[in-house]
Amino acid sequence: MKQKKYWKGLEELQDEAGYEKAMYNEFREELPLGESDAFLSTTTPRRDFLKYLGFSITAATVAASCEIKVRKAIPYLNKPEEITPGIPNYYASSYALDGDYCPIVIKTRDGRPIKIEGNTLSSITGGGTSARVQGSVLSLYDTTRLRYPMADGKETTWAALDKQVAGSLAGGGVVLLTGSILSPSVKQAINEFIARYPGTRHVVNDSVSYAGMLMANEASYGKRALPSYHFENAKCIVSIGADFLGTWLSPVEFAGQYGKARAVSGENPSMSQHFQFEGHVSLTGSNADYRYTHKPSELPAVVLGLYNAVAQTLGRPALSGAPAPTSKRVADGIKKAAKALAASQGAALVVSGSNNTQVQILVNGINDMLGAGGKTIDWNTPVNYRQGVDADMQQLVNDMQSGSVKTLLVYGANPAYDYYEADKFAAALKKVPASVSFNDHLDETTRLCKYAAPDHHYLESWGDAEPKTGYYSLQQPGIAPLFKTRQFLETLLKWSGAAESDPLAYIQNYWKTNIFPQYGNGDWQTWWDQSLQDGVAEPKTAPAFGTAAFAADVNDAAAKLLSATPKSGGVEIVFYEKVGVGTGRHANNPWLQEMPDPVSKCTWDNYLCISPAMAEKLHAVVNRFNEVDFHRPLASVKVNGKELKLPILVLPGMHPEVVAVAVGYGRGGNGLNGDALKTARRNIGPSAAGVGTNVYPWVSYNATSGTFEYSAPKAEVSNTGETYLLAITQSHNSFEGRPIIRETTLKDFIEHPEELQHERKEELGKYGENFRDDATLYFPDVFNHPQGIHWGMSVDLSTCIGCSACTIACQAENNVSVVGKSEVARGHEMHWLRIDRYFAGDPEDPQVVFQPMMCQHCDNAPCENVCPVAATSHSDEGLNQMIYNRCIGTRYCENNCPYKVRRFNWRDWNGADSFADNLWDDPATLEMNESLTRMVLNPDVTVRGRGVMEKCTFCVQRLQDAKLQAKKEDRPVKDGEAQTACQQACPTHAIAFGNVNDKESKVYEIRMKNQRLYGVLEELHTLPNVTYLSKVRNKDPEDLFQEGPQNVL
Amino acid sequence: MLLKYESTVREPLVDGVKDYHQVTVDIVRPIEGKPGKLWYAGLIISIALLIFGVFSVYWEVYYGIGVWGVNKSIGWAWAITNFVWWVGIGHAGTLISAILLLFRQGWRTGVNRAAEAMTIFAVMCAGQFPIWHVGRVWDVFFIFPYPNTRGPLWPNFNSPLLWDVFAVSTYFTVSLLFWYSGLLPDLATIRDRAKTKLRKFLYGVASFGWTGSTKHWQRHEALSLVLAGLATPLVLSVHSVVSMDFATSVIPGWHTTIFPPYFVAGAIFSGFAMVQTLLIVTRKILHLEEYITLGHIEAMNKIIMLTGSIVGVAYLSELFVAWYSGAYGEGGAFWWRILGPYWWAYVIMMTCNVVSPQVFWFKKLRRNVPFTLLMSVVVNIGMWFERFVIIVLSLYHDWLPSSWSYFSPQWPDIGFYVGTFGLFFTCYFLFAKYFPVIAIAEIKHVLKTSGENFKGKMHTIEAKTNEAFAEEVAHAHH
Repeated sequence: MKQKKYWKGLEELQDEAGYEKAMYNEFREELPLGESDAFLSTTTPRRDFLKYLGFSITAATVAASCEIKVRKAIPYLNKPEEITPGIPNYYASSYALDGDYCPIVIKTRDGRPIKIEGNTLSSITGGGTSARVQGSVLSLYDTTRLRYPMADGKETTWAALDKQVAGSLAGGGVVLLTGSILSPSVKQAINEFIARYPGTRHVVNDSVSYAGMLMANEASYGKRALPSYHFENAKCIVSIGADFLGTWLSPVEFAGQYGKARAVSGENPSMSQHFQFEGHVSLTGSNADYRYTHKPSELPAVVLGLYNAVAQTLGRPALSGAPAPTSKRVADGIKKAAKALAASQGAALVVSGSNNTQVQILVNGINDMLGAGGKTIDWNTPVNYRQGVDADMQQLVNDMQSGSVKTLLVYGANPAYDYYEADKFAAALKKVPASVSFNDHLDETTRLCKYAAPDHHYLESWGDAEPKTGYYSLQQPGIAPLFKTRQFLETLLKWSGAAESDPLAYIQNYWKTNIFPQYGNGDWQTWWDQSLQDGVAEPKTAPAFGTAAFAADVNDAAAKLLSATPKSGGVEIVFYEKVGVGTGRHANNPWLQEMPDPVSKCTWDNYLCISPAMAEKLHAVVNRFNEVDFHRPLASVKVNGKELKLPILVLPGMHPEVVAVAVGYGRGGNGLNGDALKTARRNIGPSAAGVGTNVYPWVSYNATSGTFEYSAPKAEVSNTGETYLLAITQSHNSFEGRPIIRETTLKDFIEHPEELQHERKEELGKYGENFRDDATLYFPDVFNHPQGIHWGMSVDLSTCIGCSACTIACQAENNVSVVGKSEVARGHEMHWLRIDRYFAGDPEDPQVVFQPMMCQHCDNAPCENVCPVAATSHSDEGLNQMIYNRCIGTRYCENNCPYKVRRFNWRDWNGADSFADNLWDDPATLEMNESLTRMVLNPDVTVRGRGVMEKCTFCVQRLQDAKLQAKKEDRPVKDGEAQTACQQACPTHAIAFGNVNDKESKVYEIRMKNQRLYGVLEELHTLPNVTYLSKVRNKDPEDLFQEGPQNVL
Repeated sequence: MLLKYESTVREPLVDGVKDYHQVTVDIVRPIEGKPGKLWYAGLIISIALLIFGVFSVYWEVYYGIGVWGVNKSIGWAWAITNFVWWVGIGHAGTLISAILLLFRQGWRTGVNRAAEAMTIFAVMCAGQFPIWHVGRVWDVFFIFPYPNTRGPLWPNFNSPLLWDVFAVSTYFTVSLLFWYSGLLPDLATIRDRAKTKLRKFLYGVASFGWTGSTKHWQRHEALSLVLAGLATPLVLSVHSVVSMDFATSVIPGWHTTIFPPYFVAGAIFSGFAMVQTLLIVTRKILHLEEYITLGHIEAMNKIIMLTGSIVGVAYLSELFVAWYSGAYGEGGAFWWRILGPYWWAYVIMMTCNVVSPQVFWFKKLRRNVPFTLLMSVVVNIGMWFERFVIIVLSLYHDWLPSSWSYFSPQWPDIGFYVGTFGLFFTCYFLFAKYFPVIAIAEIKHVLKTSGENFKGKMHTIEAKTNEAFAEEVAHAHH
């Protein structure tokens, strides 16, 4: 039977054999095998070829893979509930450094702290901050921080360090040298440590000492403590050299109180009166209603004079031997101040910034006569801000020298830099067999220590603070430690051999035992969580103010003071602390270095402040022709036999025979250059090393008072003829009587509250009935936005103290670039918010006014219509917007801005450019562009590239945030929800911001009702959305200096 | 013949015994001969300056505008000063060729070619500044209204800076066309005289096939008139628009309604000064004294004196208004302009622009060549300072005293300016070598009426009585 056959095609059916053959022969065409012989017999046959191929591919792969950076972007496998990328988290915490205290809220984005806000729940600061607090977030990302523990200058492990130090501690003779510590749990741990190593001594040393007050209070009230001051209750404040708004004790707190008492309105037309006696020009003095200058050697005359004048008015016994002030002005001032003080008994406050025990005793005596205790001075809640005792420090150095100190632990102190005999300290330290520094840099002291046990940054730490008795504050970390550092508390607990060395557990335990019983109720965990969220634990109702019995011998104090005060040696010198850099602790913070000093408007340096009169003698006169040249004369200054060179800065308001210079500069040594400068930049920081001059060696020790003296009776000043570049941001000091500043006296304001508005309306009335609509050729509707949101700001010149917290807050919030000294000197600084400081009147006794100046968001903005590419435009919410992408950088807008608030990216400050290696070679700018430092950048704000214009945006990202929140909740934005960074930071709440169309808003109320309202240059019809409130001074109308605008032509 | 009569009272425009051929030979001599050593030295120096300018601009573009002396208060300084200065200089050429053509001023023929060339080169120099002074030069095309996918997004037509772009580019285009169309017959002349093939070819291409036919001449004349008509308003508009960059602002010292005429007068003032500088040197080196005569120099000096006086009046009226207005902004700006740290810039401006041109009331000085050369340089120094005073001295002390500042030029500022001199003179040297610096055809056009030797023949006519002359004219066949 024939097999069944399936065929696939007719070929198969018809020609089976042929088909089969064809099927077998798959490649029917002739294969080119004839050539294959030659192919196979070549010198590189197929197998070799494959070998080469394999090798090449492997080699290429290996070579190529070496070049590729592995970048990790690891998403959360399990996303923590509270973290959403792009949404900030806020953690309440505390800034407590060197005794400075500020309760804060840390803003973190994607796990990194980017901004510090004030904690409004605190009754101490009320949400205010200072420039230093605002700037502290940047120091977290300081690239020069110590990254690991060290022994003998080499990296070691914590375990090894613990072992080595334990050996030394066992040998006894331990001294713990610290700055002022606010943390109660750290203090307890120190006590436990002392208990573990008996004989251990704890010495507290403050870089700038307040020991005179502590000693005086001990003598006066039997308490070596500081009371709470209440400037808000004072109708009359007399400050004898205390810079309580800038640097003295707790400026954020005091500024808030001061602001309350200085806020004046039609409904409440009252304010405190402020007298200041001082040698140099402090921020506080600049804000005083009456200011008198005296030499440091005349301090007894001022203090005794005031004492006697008050005593005389109140019928109390006077002190004998009071010298008469050399100047009639000061003598009159004392009389006037005493009269005002006596008139406000019970609401008067005298403070002194002197570190002299006797002076402080006499000041206590005056306050006692005036009944300040329990009213403006509260002894029920003493403060812990400063605890250093100078005599202890002297003793320590002697002990170190004598070799009785076996182990020295240094925490939060840097005596090799800021001790007046730093060389002596350094030499003595060599005699100490084992020394440990907990400082976060390889700074002057740490460098000399055997071991470095670096502490965490405070934003990495758990902690607590008790700034005032009974007022507690918690510190929680905003980020995991960046480096192999260890918290001081943990180190201390480990060394004490504590069973539990975890700081959080220790603090929780401390709070559970000590604070929970006081303020807690219910469940501990709930209360703890709540406290952590709030950041502060305070008495529910403020405890009643208390007084203390004054028991000092004022006659003895006066006699001692008179005998111990050195005679004036002609020109005298004052050492002061700057608002930004402070004692030198913040020297490596580029934001603070570049912050113009509130009074001198100088950045990146310390300098010799001299009066215009002395400038004439020294041939260093600054006049209208040379004020714009920042190459200033270099002076040679000799104090206590030590000579230093300092640039001269002529400052109106200085006493004609007093010069002043700030401490906190010259970190790493004076006159650094070459390799020494490089090393110092690496160890202490690029913004600190080589900047300014260290003048701590000029400080002296007053044995009678037992304290350090921050002035010297003789300074030999001469002009070297050399010049030195000072980076000053404001060259002209006078506002030339222009109506950009409006001021009046309290008396005038009470009597004629309408006068200010009358003046204003008269000027604007020239242009028509309705200035807004009539004084323009444009259609009025173009500028009006009656519907929806219209953002507006108001700045109160009466309560603005010029502290510059807003400037730094703005810088942190808006990624404002740091440009370095040489560029600031060329007028290239980038601050979006500057504070204009003007002097008026007598150069010896000028009136000072501060005016924060930022983009005015004009509704008829001159910048907008001149931009050829429409890169700056107006939003329907009244914002003047900058479109960076569109900007080509013609700078026409900058020219046409009458407020000169626009800032151009002159150079590639941010490394955002496509041109390689064109960053400015300033070490600070380079530092700001390290990838670690860039972690501080706010991701919500574009980093601007070279060649584009930028300026204040009214923190548009914050406004958008508030609007989105409101939109999600389907409601309008409420007043206070959208806050600008400057407004949030202001310790005196001088800035109001909100929706002008919202009748409930504060800014609406100000616009409608406030009689002090005016707009700067409003007569230009720019229609600014920032308005100002005229400054009111509490002085007699005849004492107010006022001039009309200059028009000499 | 009689149509070509010109009174002998009028100074001849061409001195010496000239015929048409001689004119051609005189003017094309530098083109056909080998250039002298001075020419080579000048060209090399110019190119060196140009290279330095290019390097300065490279530096500025690479490192940012911050390498200049400009700052937070003074956003414009040297770059815009130089821009306005060069544009101002660029006014003389077109004024001479267009406005003087319309006014039938025969003397323009001797100077118009070089003046027009100068205009073009000056505007080229001026144009560099607005381009390179922007922060992001790679995005400078945003300024043009081109179709785009962003909306489309147009430039801001309210901005005077945008008007500037249009005004200057239009002016440049029209000036270039005018200059080149005038060159055609002369280029053809050179072509016809060319002895080498290359020369013949290149000038042949450049002369667009000009044959000198009547039709060509007729169209050429018509084109000249049309372009003159177009260019005339431009002469006035360009600097008016430039002045509006300042006049429309709110800055005291800028916000001034007299700016447009004041700027135009200043531009003509500086433009004529630059023409003087160039031509006095050119006529000497190229031996063209017979074509660019003392009469030409005097005529231009008269214009310099007139425009200088207009500028002076403008300065004084600014001061008057600053006082009379009682406005503190205006008063302060002028007070600081005169008595501030930059007082010397104001003094230089006043001396050079207002005081010094008054010496031209004296005919002796108007006809003194070395003195005119000196004065022409003084005037341009003064006019540079005028722009500097307006721009920098208004910005440096404006509304808020807190922002008062100062400007010190840095090397890239100076380098850029010097570089444009390099560009200008490189172009001018090449022009003087390869193009006829005097319009040959136009000189021939006036030769028989205004040439010295032809004017000599007029004495016979002038000797006739009026009646005899009238009769001759009445019976003439033409």
